[in-house]
Amino acid sequence: MSDLHYPFPPAAAYRLNRCLYAIKSDPEFCSRFLADPRGAAAEMELSEPERSALSPLDRDALVSLGGHPYLVFMAELRLRMTREPGALEYF
Amino acid sequence: MLVGAFACAHTPQLLIRPPTEDREIVLRVHAAFARVKERLAALRPDAIAIVAGDHIEAFFLDAVPALAVYVGTECQGAFGPYRYRFPIHEPLARAILEQGVERGFDLLYTQSARLDYAFFVPLHFTMPAPPVPIVPLHVNAYLPPQPTPRRCHEWGAALGQILRSRPERIALMASGGMSHFPGTDRYASPDVDWDRELLERLQAGRGAELASATAEELDKTGNIELRTWITLLGAVGDSRAAVYCYEPSWHHGNAVVEWPV
Repeated sequence: MSDLHYPFPPAAAYRLNRCLYAIKSDPEFCSRFLADPRGAAAEMELSEPERSALSPLDRDALVSLGGHPYLVFMAELRLRMTREPGALEYF
Repeated sequence: MLVGAFACAHTPQLLIRPPTEDREIVLRVHAAFARVKERLAALRPDAIAIVAGDHIEAFFLDAVPALAVYVGTECQGAFGPYRYRFPIHEPLARAILEQGVERGFDLLYTQSARLDYAFFVPLHFTMPAPPVPIVPLHVNAYLPPQPTPRRCHEWGAALGQILRSRPERIALMASGGMSHFPGTDRYASPDVDWDRELLERLQAGRGAELASATAEELDKTGNIELRTWITLLGAVGDSRAAVYCYEPSWHHGNAVVEWPV
């Protein structure tokens, strides 16, 4: 089961994944993160490498730190949707 | 009784289209959704039982269920600017839960969990008028170890028996797929060939073969979400699929399918 695209999320990355989850699913946290990424990351008690990988958001670094690829993907999409809502067509 | 069975893509770009997305492809998938909506109107279901994989929205790492049933009076969620709320067909949800447990499936149930967009997107496009209540059924797709394809198929077979024994007219819908790799290096390379070969097998009524797929194969082909289809296939047996569309975008195999029941 090695080399899966979606591997088991390592427990050591729990806080990082919780932060990505909050960006994705908690609009207030997402807004705080957009305004002050490092402050919001500190609120989530992230390590220095985790904080650096979040701002600017570095997908490869986040995944290598144990971030769940889907959470990384959707956190990035949510940030983009919040930042540039006008560029999107809604059905 | 079971009156219809459908599978629908739910990729968010079908709901909220960024400039990177080919509008014509999106509209062709919408046209296939419209056919499902017409079919649902003709089938006059009392409820839609919808099987989807939560995208780590209702269930984060604090508690990861393999299979779950929403049994509240209603369920709700949000995605971007969309706020949605659906009544739950409570007697049917209770029956699925209780009879599922009776048949040996240790189902988690929730009366309050948020509803992921995987449930919302197909319902947004296909809910007939007047709308009918739903029963959301979660199958873990994104947090390994997921239930095996074999287990999903067995659950679907039990679910099909439960639905057929009910007095209500029930449509079963699987949400998800086909090949896509969000958040990975393979995002721009969905396995379109694998998808097309699978659709041929489904059209030939050979869906039960998917129960023998491995977790590795589903992951390798970008099809971890097909656990929702495999669950549905357990319920519809060797019925031959009618493919309403297969519209691969640069990152996602969008399919809409119906199975006669």
